[in-house]
Amino acid sequence: MTGFIQQIINGLSIGSVYALMAVGYSLVYSIMNFSNFAHGGIIMFGAYFGFFFMTLYKFPFSIAFIASGICAALMAILVERVAYKPLRDRRAPFLYFIISAMGVSIFLENIIIATIGPTFRTYPEVFSTQPIKIGNMAIGRIDLTMFIISAVFLVLLIYLIDYTKIGKAIQATSFNMKASALMGINTDFIILLVFGLGGFLAGLAGVLFGMKYTVYPQIGNITLKSFIAAVFGGLGSLQGAVIGSVLLGIIETITSGYISSQYRDLIAFVLLIFILVVRPMGLMGKVTEDKA
Amino acid sequence: MLKVRNLHVFYGGIHALKGINVEVKQGEIVTIIGSNGAGKSTLLNTITGIVKPKEGEIFYKDKKLSLIPHKIVANGICQVPEGRLVFANLTVKDNLLLGAYLRKDKAEINKDLQNVYEIFPRLKEREKQMAGTLSGGEQQMLAIGRALMGRPEIMLLDEPSLGLAPLLVDTIFKIILDIKKMGKTILLVEQNAFKALEIADRAYVLEQGRITLEGSAKDIAANPKVQEAYLGKRVTE
Repeated sequence: MTGFIQQIINGLSIGSVYALMAVGYSLVYSIMNFSNFAHGGIIMFGAYFGFFFMTLYKFPFSIAFIASGICAALMAILVERVAYKPLRDRRAPFLYFIISAMGVSIFLENIIIATIGPTFRTYPEVFSTQPIKIGNMAIGRIDLTMFIISAVFLVLLIYLIDYTKIGKAIQATSFNMKASALMGINTDFIILLVFGLGGFLAGLAGVLFGMKYTVYPQIGNITLKSFIAAVFGGLGSLQGAVIGSVLLGIIETITSGYISSQYRDLIAFVLLIFILVVRPMGLMGKVTEDKA
Repeated sequence: MLKVRNLHVFYGGIHALKGINVEVKQGEIVTIIGSNGAGKSTLLNTITGIVKPKEGEIFYKDKKLSLIPHKIVANGICQVPEGRLVFANLTVKDNLLLGAYLRKDKAEINKDLQNVYEIFPRLKEREKQMAGTLSGGEQQMLAIGRALMGRPEIMLLDEPSLGLAPLLVDTIFKIILDIKKMGKTILLVEQNAFKALEIADRAYVLEQGRITLEGSAKDIAANPKVQEAYLGKRVTE
């Protein structure tokens, strides 16, 4: 039993970091209606920012962490300006956005390989590897930190979206950009804000993953999972993205714990496909019914 | 108050507006009638900055109007778009508050909210409902109420009667007259020419991107060509 609870806790921890990435996908999707595949590149840059802030500049963890988020946010905004805004201005079909996003993603990965190199790098030890013991359970300090930090930022984000004026403006823009502009909402700013928020959280997620595992140019591929978790939860719904991610994390750890870690992705993704077949809009997808 | 001078708009290769001149004076209801695809909505969308003109100018209170939608709204110009476009994913109240997005005077916003509820008691009843669950007529009321929340000086109404039952059409036109009495200026685009000409002071007829007729609403309504084409009357020689 304690083993099971421990697996759940590990699942929550990994799932909450997936959620940090998934909400970025979801936010951009809800406004722009395309999957921003460049998100993985931003996560990878976040991981590298954190790594260099801590090794080269010897920043303490908390500062390196937030600074990486901010740098990643600025990068996400830059990507929007360079790769998407020109397409938006020309009202290009959404397929062009996806292709542009893939291009950016490949570019970001390769610029790291070309300049910093393809090697794996390890973060300095921030948290002791000594687990925290509660009864018979041993919880890794990193896992616990990941969970708490992710949960705090997710709650802040959901509060921002659901309860503030700017959040309502984001929701309005996601529903209809023209109508929002007619309300006096600066939709261009809202788009930048959404990329900035998504990029910030992606940067944080990158640091957390880099810290738990290692940093390497392909670390961004992990976003494939958060992307699928976002689809699973229902693209465009933040709560859905969070729930989908956490479920994915738990399914993964339970599969590795009780069956085999080799089956981890297999079972997780088969389950996701099954759920999508039964419920194509995802768990909490944007089914905005409109009677009129 | 609002002057449109020699406006040309293109959609790709399609020349949608071919040198439009329109003027709206303070306190008037001006209507633009015309069939589907004549360019009526394009004209409103160009005034509110959603569509960019290729040539021509728009003056508001003798100053050249910005081309950026949110700056135009800040000037006191608000469009109620065709198809209402209420935010179906938000509550009725949130929709109304978004109408006041650029305003910071909380107490006054609250007062205006109560005023809108007074004009449209239905919206008060459904305050906490998602806007997507409203009927077509209620959504039109919400769209108009939402626009009023911004305290515009001039309202551009795009086909407010579209798709509504006849009884509701009457209600909406009555409300438009009430809004005029509140001191607002109105530019009304309508396919329901009969109703529009009834409440308007002046009218323009838009055909294939050109203004072909203009004058007082009475004269336009009496024009035999208009009667035949838009009012469904057979002109007997």
